[in-house]
Amino acid sequence: MNKKAKVGLIIFIVVYFTIGIINAFYFVPKDTSEVTQGLASRWIVQISDKSAWYTRLNPLTIAMSWAIIIGLIIFAVKVGKNFKIIPDRKQSITESVFDFMYEIVESVIDDPRFVKPTFTIATTLFIYIAVSNILGGAVPGLNVSIANGSVKFTLFSDTFFAPTADLNTNLTYALMVFVISHAFAIKAKGVKGWLKSWFEPNPIMFPMNVIGELAKPISHSLRLFGNVGGGAILTFMLSYLVKYLLLPIVFWGFFGIFVGLIQALVFAMLAVAYISAQIS
Amino acid sequence: MEKTLADALIVMGKAIGAGLAMGIGAIGPGIGEGNIGAHAMDAMARQPEMVGTITTRMLLADAVAESTGIYSLLIAFLILLSL
Repeated sequence: MNKKAKVGLIIFIVVYFTIGIINAFYFVPKDTSEVTQGLASRWIVQISDKSAWYTRLNPLTIAMSWAIIIGLIIFAVKVGKNFKIIPDRKQSITESVFDFMYEIVESVIDDPRFVKPTFTIATTLFIYIAVSNILGGAVPGLNVSIANGSVKFTLFSDTFFAPTADLNTNLTYALMVFVISHAFAIKAKGVKGWLKSWFEPNPIMFPMNVIGELAKPISHSLRLFGNVGGGAILTFMLSYLVKYLLLPIVFWGFFGIFVGLIQALVFAMLAVAYISAQIS
Repeated sequence: MEKTLADALIVMGKAIGAGLAMGIGAIGPGIGEGNIGAHAMDAMARQPEMVGTITTRMLLADAVAESTGIYSLLIAFLILLSL
């Protein structure tokens, strides 16, 4: 470790611990019910008088999703503009992630025509979900809580809101993977072969196949949602129990970095597995 | 706010339900992850040069095995906080 990295690490630790101490003194709620009250409720905006599922917006999810998308685009443009033979730090991070994912995808997908599209989908999902999980799990930031019907903003009392802690985001990606896997299956086997695959091994199994296929996106999305959302709630409750003193940082690190990265990898790997099961 | 017997019974039911959901729901993933860990250890002892690959696959299998436990955690939180 060189001197620059050491200084960076020290600054990081000092900032983290300062935030922990500030939390300990300024963000202790008066009452337990104040903490648990707004925990499961989300900030939801009605855009018209009619109450239906398509008139409700979740502003935090939208804002955080766009922030992550724009950040990733800026990063990609920055790395892609000066691509060198001798890579600098950002380029080598990008290259190692791409290399890691490409090796996995190449070993799972048999058909060489589908390796590159699958790799694109899986890597995009992995990078987006990993960034959003780490942002929502390990980076202290703006916390929005709902108390008695009014929205309250506090800085640094909790981590940012992860877009993947909202089931809408996860279900969108899971359904996307579902549709893409069937589109690839039609492309690989033809319409006839695809229709035939529903009646394998014999026609009696057709209902089981339908249920099995429909269960895939549900379990795919609920797994990520449960891990990230449950982790966020657990972190919040445990932070309250230790009065916001230093220990939240450990939970943020565990639920954000460790669980977040593993779940992002699992989501991407399951997408690859579902696609490979459909096209073979 | 006046507290009545009905409110107390509701709170009791919520607590018992959440506890049961979490406690019973954690049995399956516990057994599953234990099996995965044990067999991964066996494989690592037999082939120490495959440690890296086996660890990655083990973590993936763990994450899949714990999903039922995560569902029960979600249900427990739903019962406790929003019902």
